[in-house]
Amino acid sequence: SRRLNMHTQSTCSFFFLYDGSKVRGEGDPTREGICYFYPEETPLDRQELLCGQLAGVGRCVSELSVSPVRVLRLRRDKFAIRMKDDLFWALGTSVEVPTVSVCALLDQLINLFRFYNGSVRRSYQIHSRETLAARWAQYLSHLQSGSSELHHIFSCLRTIDSTNVDPLLLLKAALILQACQRCPLVLAGCVLFRGRVVSTQMSPELTMKAMVHESETYVKVGTTPITSHATPLKDTPPRKTRLSRTLSDVPSTESDPPDPGSPQPPQNLSFGPVPSQGAAESLSCPDQSPSSNGEHGAEGEESRYFSFQTAIEEDVHQSGDRGDTACAEASQSQDRKVSGESGGGGPPPGSSSGAEEAPLVPMTLYLHRVKSLVLVLLVEQHFLSDSASMEEVYHSSLASLNGLEAHLRTVSPAAPGAPGPYSFAHFDCVQSTLTANVSAAPGGAPERPFVRAVALLHSHFSDSASLQEAIIRSAGAAVYGTRSVAQETFFQQHGGSLRNSGIPNQQDSCFSLPSKARHRLLKHGVNLL
Amino acid sequence: TRANSGRARSITPAVTMTAKTSLLKVILLGDGGVGKSSLMNRYVTNKFDTHLFHTIGVEFLNKELEVDAHQVTLQIWDTAGQERFRSLRTPFYRGSDCCLLTFSVDDNQSFLNLGNWKKEFIYYADVKEPEKFPFVVLGNKLDVTERQVTSEEAQQWCQENGGHPYYETSAKDATNVAVAFEEAVRRVLASDERTDHLIPTDTVKLHRKPRSATTCCS
Repeated sequence: SRRLNMHTQSTCSFFFLYDGSKVRGEGDPTREGICYFYPEETPLDRQELLCGQLAGVGRCVSELSVSPVRVLRLRRDKFAIRMKDDLFWALGTSVEVPTVSVCALLDQLINLFRFYNGSVRRSYQIHSRETLAARWAQYLSHLQSGSSELHHIFSCLRTIDSTNVDPLLLLKAALILQACQRCPLVLAGCVLFRGRVVSTQMSPELTMKAMVHESETYVKVGTTPITSHATPLKDTPPRKTRLSRTLSDVPSTESDPPDPGSPQPPQNLSFGPVPSQGAAESLSCPDQSPSSNGEHGAEGEESRYFSFQTAIEEDVHQSGDRGDTACAEASQSQDRKVSGESGGGGPPPGSSSGAEEAPLVPMTLYLHRVKSLVLVLLVEQHFLSDSASMEEVYHSSLASLNGLEAHLRTVSPAAPGAPGPYSFAHFDCVQSTLTANVSAAPGGAPERPFVRAVALLHSHFSDSASLQEAIIRSAGAAVYGTRSVAQETFFQQHGGSLRNSGIPNQQDSCFSLPSKARHRLLKHGVNLL
Repeated sequence: TRANSGRARSITPAVTMTAKTSLLKVILLGDGGVGKSSLMNRYVTNKFDTHLFHTIGVEFLNKELEVDAHQVTLQIWDTAGQERFRSLRTPFYRGSDCCLLTFSVDDNQSFLNLGNWKKEFIYYADVKEPEKFPFVVLGNKLDVTERQVTSEEAQQWCQENGGHPYYETSAKDATNVAVAFEEAVRRVLASDERTDHLIPTDTVKLHRKPRSATTCCS
């Protein structure tokens, strides 16, 4: 498998899902087990080769070592591996990508699929491989789209460049979300601009999931080409994430114990719709829903109202395995909703057949777009059939969204400018956000060494929990890294002659890096003291 | 099309009797708390919300209406009245067709500040002929019982500052709100007709702005 090295710009060079249960007998062709393979144009015999070999190796090593294989490393490629019963996922990248980042990407991908489709096995019982292939492709593209290599290394959320935006506008976005929450059916939300987070009330994991459809429509509009670098989120077990970080009184659908009458997680999201004022661009949403379309169209002045609904599942609680029945329910509800019927709520709670399956929680995701600005709200499912609530939310947010869009549109992007006297990157592990003064765009030459050093340090930090500070150096450069439970920060001083004495001594300039970093980064709001 | 919402009106041929609606931008200015957002919301959505946040920067809503057989889309821009929001709001003054100077009848200071608001608008909107620009003055919160500004004082200020029309409104109980906005539209249409009447006689349009040139505002 020396030919694996497909150096596309994409982080992910291979991804596949292989179902071993389809290939039991000697005569069963391997292709029967290949549920999805990326890149899709890979010749089938090569797909079979890779799937067969990796799945075989994975099973063999797992059995020998009595512990699941997480990573397979070849000379030039590495594969993050996940196994669940007979299902086998592998995601391959070049060895330069930190292992922790590859694993995070794969976990995110699987979680994203499970979030919207429920159990993987059940999905394949219900839907055709073609249908699900489109979804894998969509999620993979979403996770890899539109951000820098640094984002990919940390698997962080894509946010707007807040250094360039008046903080009052961030406050404005937060207030829009708060105003929406005056409607009790609204659980939490986020505001996105050009596919990036302006403000969110949700956990980074949930925000990332909610962004899938937005980034898709945004990319469709053609403003951001899908480029290659992945931005998976930090993959944490979604079990106990808090839904709201700004409001204490918001019930967290993820972490709260289930209400007596309400079903538990895997959640069923249905998608709402987009009234858009002044924004003439039409969302190409798949299913126009007659039911919710009318209400706002009538009252929305000249605003247009697009609406579609689709049912998606969330599998937040389960760390990975169950939810087969959840999925069956999902498909029922999907059929029902697409046909335009919106009463009644989701699948009956507790109707799942598998005893150990948690039933689905029906949920709806409501999207309201004003040009490049999108309000995404996680709402109770009957929100869409409650026209009074919808109007309330619509009217309480419309003017502010219009204004915020006008403001953000006039913010000029930061001038690339000359490289400053230093490079830094600061990763906030709690919010899963990145602050940096390097663009690290694909192919960004001058910053390459810094980005590679960051990748290396990040790998070391994730490998050894007790490591807190490190300096790595080459003949010409030194990069300092420091981390705590809440953050990782990396710093490189440019210019000046690097006094590298070979053996450490007091004159060695790299020993002044920590204090320089502390000093310089204060003005970026990074406090290392 | 994602045409910039700024000045669509100027693209519409002025003399032709097209059924096309023109977009009029009116802007509400005045001290914080006089009820600018409430006036906009009352007029566009016919709702009154006692728990509005302070406006940050600017916001706007569109409303379509017909005034004297003209179809217009009124784009109402609501602004933050507090001084600390000045740098956020002033860039959006440009392109306004009418300015609604707003004060609250129970707040004398907001009345005294009208002149400053007018000056700020003329400066940042870069109004070439301020004496011809349509302003409308609104005294809001007519519903409150303890007035600090009398009708006469307000009328007098309007007279002395360019003969602006004056309306006493209440966003809370909807008094005079629609009337005031419609008056703003009439003022704009009237001033347009004057200029339309003048321009064609001594100018030649050399080129028309291509409509579809901008596909994206980014």
